[in-house]
Amino acid sequence: MITSNLSESDVNVLSTAMDRVVPAVDDLPGAGGMGLAIVVVERSRADERFWNALTTVVNALSSAGSDGSGEFASMSGDEQDDALRAVEMSEPAAFALWLDVVFTIYYMQPAVHKRLDWHGRSPQPVGNEMPPWDESVLSKIRQREPFWRKV
Amino acid sequence: MTTTDHNPDRTADVLIIGAGASGAAVAASLAEAGFDVVCIEQGNWQDASKFPTVEPDFELRQMSSWSINPNKRKLREDYPVNVDDSAIDPVMFNGVGGSTIMWAAHTPRLHPSDFRVKTLDGVADDWPITYEDLEPWYDLNDHVMGCAGIAGDPANPPRSPRQMPPVPIGKDGEMLAAAFDRLGWHWWPSDNYVNSIRYGEGRDACNFCGHNMMGCYQRAKSSTDLNYWPRAIDQGAEFVTGARVREITTDSTGRATGVNYLDAAGNDHHRKARAVVVAANGVGTPRMLLMSASDRHPNGLSNSSGMVGKNLMFHVYAGVTGVFPGNNERWVGPAANMIMSQEFYETDPSRGFVRGYSYQSGRGPGGPGAAARGGKVPWGAGHHEQVKRRLGNTVGLGVIGDDLPEEHNTVTLDPRLTDSSGLPAPKITYTVSKNSRALLDHGLIQAQKVMEEAGADEVDVNRFSREAGWHLMGTARMGDDPERSVVDSYGQSHDIDNLFIVDGSVFVTGGAVNPTPTIQAIALRAADYIVNERQDLKS
Ligand SMILES: Cc1cc2nc3c(=O)[nH]c(=O)nc-3n(C[C@H](O)[C@H](O)[C@H](O)COP(=O)(O)OP(=O)(O)OC[C@H]3O[C@@H](n4cnc5c(N)ncnc54)[C@H](O)[C@@H]3O)c2cc1C
Repeated sequence: MITSNLSESDVNVLSTAMDRVVPAVDDLPGAGGMGLAIVVVERSRADERFWNALTTVVNALSSAGSDGSGEFASMSGDEQDDALRAVEMSEPAAFALWLDVVFTIYYMQPAVHKRLDWHGRSPQPVGNEMPPWDESVLSKIRQREPFWRKV
Repeated sequence: MTTTDHNPDRTADVLIIGAGASGAAVAASLAEAGFDVVCIEQGNWQDASKFPTVEPDFELRQMSSWSINPNKRKLREDYPVNVDDSAIDPVMFNGVGGSTIMWAAHTPRLHPSDFRVKTLDGVADDWPITYEDLEPWYDLNDHVMGCAGIAGDPANPPRSPRQMPPVPIGKDGEMLAAAFDRLGWHWWPSDNYVNSIRYGEGRDACNFCGHNMMGCYQRAKSSTDLNYWPRAIDQGAEFVTGARVREITTDSTGRATGVNYLDAAGNDHHRKARAVVVAANGVGTPRMLLMSASDRHPNGLSNSSGMVGKNLMFHVYAGVTGVFPGNNERWVGPAANMIMSQEFYETDPSRGFVRGYSYQSGRGPGGPGAAARGGKVPWGAGHHEQVKRRLGNTVGLGVIGDDLPEEHNTVTLDPRLTDSSGLPAPKITYTVSKNSRALLDHGLIQAQKVMEEAGADEVDVNRFSREAGWHLMGTARMGDDPERSVVDSYGQSHDIDNLFIVDGSVFVTGGAVNPTPTIQAIALRAADYIVNERQDLKS
């Protein structure tokens, strides 16, 4: 478990970035607007890889804002996307893992499941149903002569 | 749960290192034949009711503490693997049941030709055994593990009746099968060690949750903690878990005398045995032999040939994913094992490569999180539309290619990286050969044709899968020539007559199918050899 934490302004940067990568849709706010930045931070603190990815992305976005062009959170949407793309280019592995964590947490939310008409259950213990095995599907392939290579 | 050593001073007849697919098979056979067996395993027993598939955050866990990759999982019982110089990451599970806790349980057999590639195709080496030599043990293993499938596949020699009917192939399987039929190409329902009906002690039929690579809550997927181990323990086999073997010990004549291991608290123990069986998998086994180097065995144990750790094979993987819009619920059913095709399994000189590949179909991952991850769905504008389009609507076709042995693909000991006990971690050096690349490229082109024939709206191509080192083979290979191999055809070390190796390390070539039925058949055959020919090892 990681002992350090993100500052309030870093969480703000994270939340803003999350709104750009998973934007608002229908009646749902973006991933940041749903209050999920805190969840991303907490879950990332439990895994060193997640944490390193998160801090790499957030630090890069924060410093993108300090080059005179203004704070990340107060940039225009297009500028924020440009900053995100720049991090994606410069830190591809960290960005990809951070994105996977954000997506995974966003798609764990019941409100998102409802919008997608997804049952939202964990895979077990209920499982799913399937039609039974139907042997008639073999009718064509069964006509083929054995063709394995004899030795 | 950790089991401690209750008989530390007793000399076991046979001590087995590793409680996975092969160690379990050997343990049950030997214990049933009256041998005094002890197994030392670095991991622990698994409680199926606690597998993460019952939790709402299962996908997040799959990316960390339940990853198939030990470098991501990082549990105490895992050892790290240096993959800086490897194109493929080895994946495995360390615990009772070994990697069968996480495996997909797709269980084809090698073909007769796989044992004769030198004779037939002029590459690599022939095995010292044939398909026919192994067949009785393949059958025995199918019976114990429980095989769902159907005999009659024209791409393979005739096979005994399967224990259970095939797992349903579902709408997706039927769709792909019809496409193969129209192309005039082979396909057949996969053999699976997944229950299509109740089979085995307390094991239900599969309930099609689609996530069997995080352990099977339903116990429908066969793993050796559910069958071989209970049998072995019933017959008196002893177990020490949470215990990491650091070396195999030898006497002044060079024979094995037992092992030194570290318990979970880091305390050192010695356990004596008349014979040692190494079943620590194709990475763990060469690591163990190399860690057991001593003045008498400066290059590692059983390594007079210099072949320990060389000729590492993984199988090379690539694949295509077809997107079939509509609301198709394509995640329903075991993750990876609907149907397979072996149309391109054998060498055809006109294709520009030797040997070949199988296709293994895979279901789309269930859940919107899985639909979003993996780099095919954009972030930002267009994200929601793409997730909706893909959710439940993708089907995969994997190419699993024969990966011929090359001596420069190796497992060695890393000079710096260590595991949680301070023991040297393995380092993998592995490059993809031209032959492997050529056969993958061929496979990808044909796979796209299958998807198009099936009516895919879009086909994504994954040219190479890095985190696909689930098949660990070749690093202590068998052979008749002690100068070119580590063990004989029964897994007995050429150098040390009371040391046996029974896991995928002994493979001479890898074929183009998942290896575990072959690994377990080899282990069962080795056990029968010990029972019949090595009564001297019995107290
Ligand atoms: C995600 C995944 C999917 C797979 N899918 C398939 C499939 O569909 N079909 C198929 O045929 N195969 C599949 N495999 C591969 C299959 O699981 C392996 O081939 C098989 O389990 C290998 O058996 P083994 O006995 O050699 O080693 P393992 O089952 O890996 O067991 C080795 C054991 O040795 C122990 N060990 C290692 N070193 C030490 C030490 N120093 N001290 C004590 N104990 C030690 C480990 O903890 C481990 O439990 C898959 C594997 C994975 C990870």
